[in-house]
Amino acid sequence: MPTFTDLTPSSFWREIGATREDWAALAPALGGTMLVEMHLIRAFEEKVLELAGQGLVHGPAHSAIGQEGGAVGSALALRRSDQVNGSHRAHHQFLAKALSYLKPDGIAPAAEFDGNIRDLSKRTLAEILGLAQGFCKGRGGSMHLRWAQAGNLGTNAIVGGGVPMAAGAAWAHKRAGTGDVVYTYFGDGATNIGSVLETMNLAAAWKLPICFFIENNRYAVSTHVEEATADPRLSSRGLAFGIPAFKVDGMDTLAVYLACEEANRIMRAGEGPTIIEADVYRYFHQNGPLPGSAFGYRSKEEEATWRKRDPLEAMAQELRERQVLSERTVEELRDRCVALMNEVAAELIETVDGKRRIIPALWPEESFRDFGLRGDLSEFDGVRFAEQETFKGSLDPEAKFIDTVADVMTRRMEKDERIVVLGEDVHRLKGGTNGATRGLSQAFPDRVLGTPISENAFTGLAGGMAADGRFRPVIEFMYPDFMWVAADQVFNQVGKARHMFGGDSDMPLVLRTKVAMGTGYGSQHSMDPAGIFATAPGWRIVAPSTPFDYVGLMNSALLCRDPVLVLEHVDLYASKGAAPVDDLDYFIPLGKAKVVRSGARVTILTYLAMVEKTRLVVEDLGIDAEIIDLRSLDRAGLDWATIEASVKKTGNVLIVEQGAAGTSYGGWLADELQRCLFDWLDQPVRRVHGAEASPSISKVLEAAACARPQDIEAALRCVMADQGLPLAAA
Amino acid sequence: MPFEVLLPSLSAGMEDAVIARWLKAAGQEVAKGEVLAEVETDKATMELEAEVAGRIGALKVAGGGRANVNDVIAVLLLDGEDDSMLAGETPKQQPRKVAEPAPAPMIAPTPTPELAKPTPAGPRHSASPLARRIAAERGINLSRIAGSGPKGRIVRIDVERAAQAASTPIVVPQPAAVSAIPAGIGDYEAVPLSPMRRTIARRLVDAKTTVPHFYLNADCDVDALLALRAEINEGRDKGEQISVNDFVLKAVAVALRKVPEANAVWTDEAILRLRAVDIAVAVATDGGLITPVLRDADQKSLGTISSEVKALAIRAREGKLKPDEYQGGGFSVSNLGMYGVKSFTAIINPPQSCILAVGVAERRPVGRGDEIVLANVMSCTLSVDHRSVDGAVGAKWLAAFKAAIEHPLMLLV
Repeated sequence: MPTFTDLTPSSFWREIGATREDWAALAPALGGTMLVEMHLIRAFEEKVLELAGQGLVHGPAHSAIGQEGGAVGSALALRRSDQVNGSHRAHHQFLAKALSYLKPDGIAPAAEFDGNIRDLSKRTLAEILGLAQGFCKGRGGSMHLRWAQAGNLGTNAIVGGGVPMAAGAAWAHKRAGTGDVVYTYFGDGATNIGSVLETMNLAAAWKLPICFFIENNRYAVSTHVEEATADPRLSSRGLAFGIPAFKVDGMDTLAVYLACEEANRIMRAGEGPTIIEADVYRYFHQNGPLPGSAFGYRSKEEEATWRKRDPLEAMAQELRERQVLSERTVEELRDRCVALMNEVAAELIETVDGKRRIIPALWPEESFRDFGLRGDLSEFDGVRFAEQETFKGSLDPEAKFIDTVADVMTRRMEKDERIVVLGEDVHRLKGGTNGATRGLSQAFPDRVLGTPISENAFTGLAGGMAADGRFRPVIEFMYPDFMWVAADQVFNQVGKARHMFGGDSDMPLVLRTKVAMGTGYGSQHSMDPAGIFATAPGWRIVAPSTPFDYVGLMNSALLCRDPVLVLEHVDLYASKGAAPVDDLDYFIPLGKAKVVRSGARVTILTYLAMVEKTRLVVEDLGIDAEIIDLRSLDRAGLDWATIEASVKKTGNVLIVEQGAAGTSYGGWLADELQRCLFDWLDQPVRRVHGAEASPSISKVLEAAACARPQDIEAALRCVMADQGLPLAAA
Repeated sequence: MPFEVLLPSLSAGMEDAVIARWLKAAGQEVAKGEVLAEVETDKATMELEAEVAGRIGALKVAGGGRANVNDVIAVLLLDGEDDSMLAGETPKQQPRKVAEPAPAPMIAPTPTPELAKPTPAGPRHSASPLARRIAAERGINLSRIAGSGPKGRIVRIDVERAAQAASTPIVVPQPAAVSAIPAGIGDYEAVPLSPMRRTIARRLVDAKTTVPHFYLNADCDVDALLALRAEINEGRDKGEQISVNDFVLKAVAVALRKVPEANAVWTDEAILRLRAVDIAVAVATDGGLITPVLRDADQKSLGTISSEVKALAIRAREGKLKPDEYQGGGFSVSNLGMYGVKSFTAIINPPQSCILAVGVAERRPVGRGDEIVLANVMSCTLSVDHRSVDGAVGAKWLAAFKAAIEHPLMLLV
């Protein structure tokens, strides 16, 4: 018979409720403010549903009618400088946080609404309608509401997607020592997704002041929480991660407020994250103006039961009973809220021939479509650019590439206290798995963060830090293939944030990763990610092929206000080349290719470790080829001037890359070339890339799967033969 | 997908060929490497081997028919494919009767002979975008150009070569004039032009009209040579006997070594002085003249030269020369002495700079001291390209040749 010993969780899990004494102690002004905010939100949401019913809201309108208590109860417990983000259903939280930011002293139920409240209502409605005057200039709509000034970091249409970003903001608060906290709101459905669970673990490990606020409204669209998890008491998740957790009746606004005060005390004391699970109910379906019962997944009786506990009614009744408010004041408050929403809607919508429509002049200009996909690089004004050929300082011709990687980061971290390095094992093993972060954790122990193995969480956390702006995160993917693990954060969040939120919010993040083809790590560790990143316009990509270029391009990546992927290669780590001896402060422009070898018969476009391999083949064959090291690989960074001049000279193009065919980089580039330079081409653009299959672990199969010198030679022979200049047989 | 058998380029500059004979018929199985057809180029008859195994689906060019390089001449059905695959293929093989787009006004005004005769409804020409653009800029008609790219695609270098040729002020015989049958010639037999005959015609017109020839003559006393030859050949099998021409070739090699300036190739950019002494030897064949090349003649003995030239001549007459056996060389020798020709002048074989025309060795009265005696004399005429070789150099070379041929013992060391 084995022994059994009951283990106890390291954190508490408790339900919190408001007593009669708590209600009696509720300050009339706070109670009044709660009532006003809930009425504003409900009238706003009703207007959105009305417009949706008239077909005036393009896309979904996820209403939060019935859930106002959770949003208002929590937002009123926050400081103006605290921050929130949320999910696809977040109008109520966005408005609650904005209102408490605008009116820190509260709003009296009988007072007229001032211009600020009116503007907030109008700009929020305009955003939901997709209009130029919206908070995100109409780009974000209902699901991407951001007003950074008020502490609204931006809401998110990916379930759980905003949670890691919120942790990044929390990290910044902790590091800055402000005592501020971040609330990340999400629903019962999101509680089961990896981003949320990974972030709970990371936030607890690093004691970040973040509150995971779960609005448990019972339904993920139509799937009931009891169908989705064995323990539908979702605050139980805190026990797994050592996070103090509260369960509270979300229809009781005061109880939510009290729960948040408890949570805030813990977080502001530096004791780490908290979880609040608020039981709430959305009166309507996932989106649109019909109740859920209309779709058959729940009953009218259930809806009626919850509606009897309506948070607005409960608060009004309490205030009436305490004779703080009269029945008439509450009715007038309701009428004024409805009138306000009618007024602001009328300024956005007109009736023509009996039909309502958006006032045409309010739409964004079509030319705004791509504005702000990336920053304007004005941060590079006046910086010192250098190239190896014209470098004035002294060069060590035999520098090891990997040492330069560590040296330039050391230099930048000495000069810029904002830089923080994150990744798996970056703080150990004498500089991570390859020595790229050598010496950093000794020199800057609190800015070199070894992460748990949770790429999605730490990438999103870095994205949140970058969006916050006080710090400059540098994350490392030990292998590029891990981008798929972190794909939501890499592409949906970090890559799209600037554009999606209106085009003027920075995302200064650097992602380092190494291409590891040739190391025998097999199918899931051997990709070249350039082709995939090139599909994401928010990302900039640099691929330094020499130590000298690494310094300049890394400096530029760290200066840039956009996310930059810095590609490295294991073959280059061990290589030697010229590197500056003492000047590690120059830049190389993002968007400047380098002509490595000049020639007249074919333009070879290549990057990273293939540059030198290509050069050796060309020299060996004695071909009059021009080799261009692209260096900047993203669409915006492609040095079109250099490429165009070269192709117009040679009339023939070969694109050389190492990786597998499917994820390869050259396809879109070939497409651009044939469309833009068709009349200058003497033959189709030819490409060298790896096999269809990902490289295998077997040494022979791996070698066969990656593009090799003999592949370059074969392609060059074809390129020459097809322009009528066949080479002599080998 | 059936495999298309393309007519390969068998020699540099080859544009077309005649499929002399198919060795396989439709429906027959073919192993990889098996001979499909004999292909007669302008220089030689070659065997075309199958690149893959399969079954002949269709022969696209009849035996005796002409095809351009990179044309599909046959289709091989691969394992698991049947004739239905072929049906899908067939339309692609048909020459597309697409009307040539009317010349755009921007290129029309260029008054070149090429453009003066636009083809109203010729085949569509496969040409790279760059080649098309350059052709449009320079007013060059793509229908007159053979492509050296894949499947006969006209690429930049083809247009540039055509532009260069067009800019050379020479009189190109108009095809119309050639095809016109002269009046009053009576009954005749039309001999179709073989690829070889066409090449000979084109190259000789080119040489005679573009190369500034001058001629140097010398009479060589070959008594000593004939005596030595008789001595060497005594007891040798008839098939292994050393000919006068072998001595001539050896003497040419010695002279080229002494005066290397004559061993030259003219290009527009530079005169190429050749390091190797490679001598092209004119051989008459039934199809016409061909010039196989004797490599490194200066390093070879008379015996070696003799046997190599014999072998080359045999292969030349059989049409079996490989491209590397008739390409190159810096100097040619044409010997008509065996026909009793006393002396003649030869047309230079471009891009070489010199050709030596050798007449018969016959007994003639010559002055020897104060006496007139009969001696064996051979008249030789050197034709020289004045662009690359000046008169004095030519004279120096001819003197060196004369000295060598008149002192044949020198040729043995």
